[in-house]
Amino acid sequence: MSMKLFTQYNRVLLLIGFFGLLVIGSLFYQTLSYYLNKQIDNYLLEELLEVQDYDHKMNIHPAPILFKDLVIEYRKVEKFRNIKIFADTVFFNPKKQITESARYLKTGVKLQDGPYNVTIITSKVESQNQVMTILLVIIIPVLVLLLILLVINRLLMRRLWDPFRQLLENIKSFNLNKERPYETISTPILEFQELNNAILDISLKVRSDFQEIKLFTENASHEMMTPLAVINAKLDTLLQSNTLGKEESDTLIDLYRATSRLTKLNQSLLLLVKIDNDLMGEKETVDLMELIEDSIVYFRELIQERDLTVFKNFQAVSVFGSRQLLEIMVNNLFSNAIRHNYEGGSISIILSHEALIFRNTSNQPELDESVFDRFSKGRDSEGTGLGLSILRQISSKHGMRLTYEFKRGDHCFIVTFKPEVSPGSLK
Amino acid sequence: MKLLIIEDEASLRSSIQKYLTAEGNVCDIAGNFDNAYQKIAIYEYDCILLDLGLPGGEGLDLLRFLRKEQKEDGVLIISARDSIEQKIEGLSLGADDYLVKPFHLSELYARIHAVVRRRQQKGNNIISFNEIEIDVLAKEIKVYGVTVYFTRKEFDLLLYFVSNKSKVISKAAAAVHIWGDNADMADSFDYIYTHIKNIRKKLTDAGCRDYFQSVYGVGYKFQ
Repeated sequence: MSMKLFTQYNRVLLLIGFFGLLVIGSLFYQTLSYYLNKQIDNYLLEELLEVQDYDHKMNIHPAPILFKDLVIEYRKVEKFRNIKIFADTVFFNPKKQITESARYLKTGVKLQDGPYNVTIITSKVESQNQVMTILLVIIIPVLVLLLILLVINRLLMRRLWDPFRQLLENIKSFNLNKERPYETISTPILEFQELNNAILDISLKVRSDFQEIKLFTENASHEMMTPLAVINAKLDTLLQSNTLGKEESDTLIDLYRATSRLTKLNQSLLLLVKIDNDLMGEKETVDLMELIEDSIVYFRELIQERDLTVFKNFQAVSVFGSRQLLEIMVNNLFSNAIRHNYEGGSISIILSHEALIFRNTSNQPELDESVFDRFSKGRDSEGTGLGLSILRQISSKHGMRLTYEFKRGDHCFIVTFKPEVSPGSLK
Repeated sequence: MKLLIIEDEASLRSSIQKYLTAEGNVCDIAGNFDNAYQKIAIYEYDCILLDLGLPGGEGLDLLRFLRKEQKEDGVLIISARDSIEQKIEGLSLGADDYLVKPFHLSELYARIHAVVRRRQQKGNNIISFNEIEIDVLAKEIKVYGVTVYFTRKEFDLLLYFVSNKSKVISKAAAAVHIWGDNADMADSFDYIYTHIKNIRKKLTDAGCRDYFQSVYGVGYKFQ
């Protein structure tokens, strides 16, 4: 589970605030009540003294008097007990004619006709009101203060973390293949400045490394072309010799194969670098339907030779892009569909406004996603292992997406023209 | 034909020279900029094979010099540089063709033929070989004056062989000529066999002699 730093922070703050307020509030209330109770108890003691005085003088217990919110009750008991009990209770206030919370003092007195228990009850409402008022006067401002703090906190945090968010955006939009370097942010906050600088350093390093690798690949591939030309030329010269036997010829065949494979590999590497560097010439509006029709003519002999049936379902679709690259894409998808087919099989080409699909019958099992990796090859593939990764690169350069599906024994390669969310966009 | 090979890689230069020196062709060679400059300033060639990166200078400067002097020599650039910009620059400076290294000698020879044909035989697009006539512009083939239907690839292949007559052309070279970038197809060599078989049949059916000669499965010779 992940949550925003701010949410996490707020949650802790709110929890502490809430429990803190609860604890402080109740402590406050307890203390206040305790002191107010003490006050009432003192008052009750005074009243008791008055009652005792009166009893002593008059030697009769006074008639239940009703004044000062005070009720005094006598009850005759067997045994005199000289213990004073203070406690809370409820009583019916005869003056106000309502039941109120109250406090009483219970103790024994001795009169002539024996021991009595006397209970003096007084209303607590006033003191409770006092407690409430004091509590409110203190708690409400504290609550308001807490709320204001929270709001300020939220605003402040947002402001404070703004550079961080900006930084994150910039890292996300940083792309090795694009010309745009990592954009720095300006912030007065030291920590963010440090982070910013560290990222800038890394991005520069990564960029220069990346450029170096590309340059290296390009140079290496270029440098290999001349020796390859020499090998080719020497092989061609050797082939002209009149003394060629069967064995030499077989060797020559293998050499030719190896050389053309090496050449192709080199060309593919150079092509990849070129696509990466956007060096594929001007973009234009390309009629895909025409391109595919041309491709069918181009591969006509191969299709006939293997007795393949081509099903076409075309809508007129044009895309904006590099003609050369789109040609490579269509031709490669097509030649794959021919190559990995069986004699008498079929190829379906579906071109709609959403996608271009090459579907072919095949004896080969389902492929996995790794076919798009560089230098991944099927067991009996004689290709360079770069074909599909070049195609994927071409489609992503055109804002398209190349995917593979296995449908009832058929291999499908699908070029989606406008993928809604590209999962690889952050790669 | 009089040809000049400007190429700094000695072994490549000698191979090209050896392949091209036949049938009355004359091949001059130059291994650096100054040498090449002297030769093109003095002599006239049917076709100049021009490498771009030369010791002592840039090949394109030789091309500029040729155009400034309004020389009519055909120029075929042979270079390892394969960027579109490079090709466009070379061609717009007046080169007739651009061949990227590595290439097969048979391909080079066929291209030279095409360059020379375009430059010299103005209005004459017919190549004759005994009873065979090839109309390069109309892409037509006639045997004893009768048109024989050839597919585009069969036509290209026959023209390729006729341009390299008496030379052995490897299947690999033929595959690259026909399929270009898609020549890496595993069985493209086998398709060449099929193509040749079809061409042979079409020609012999039209009463033509069979000029194709198989060389131990490596390639074919047309003579």
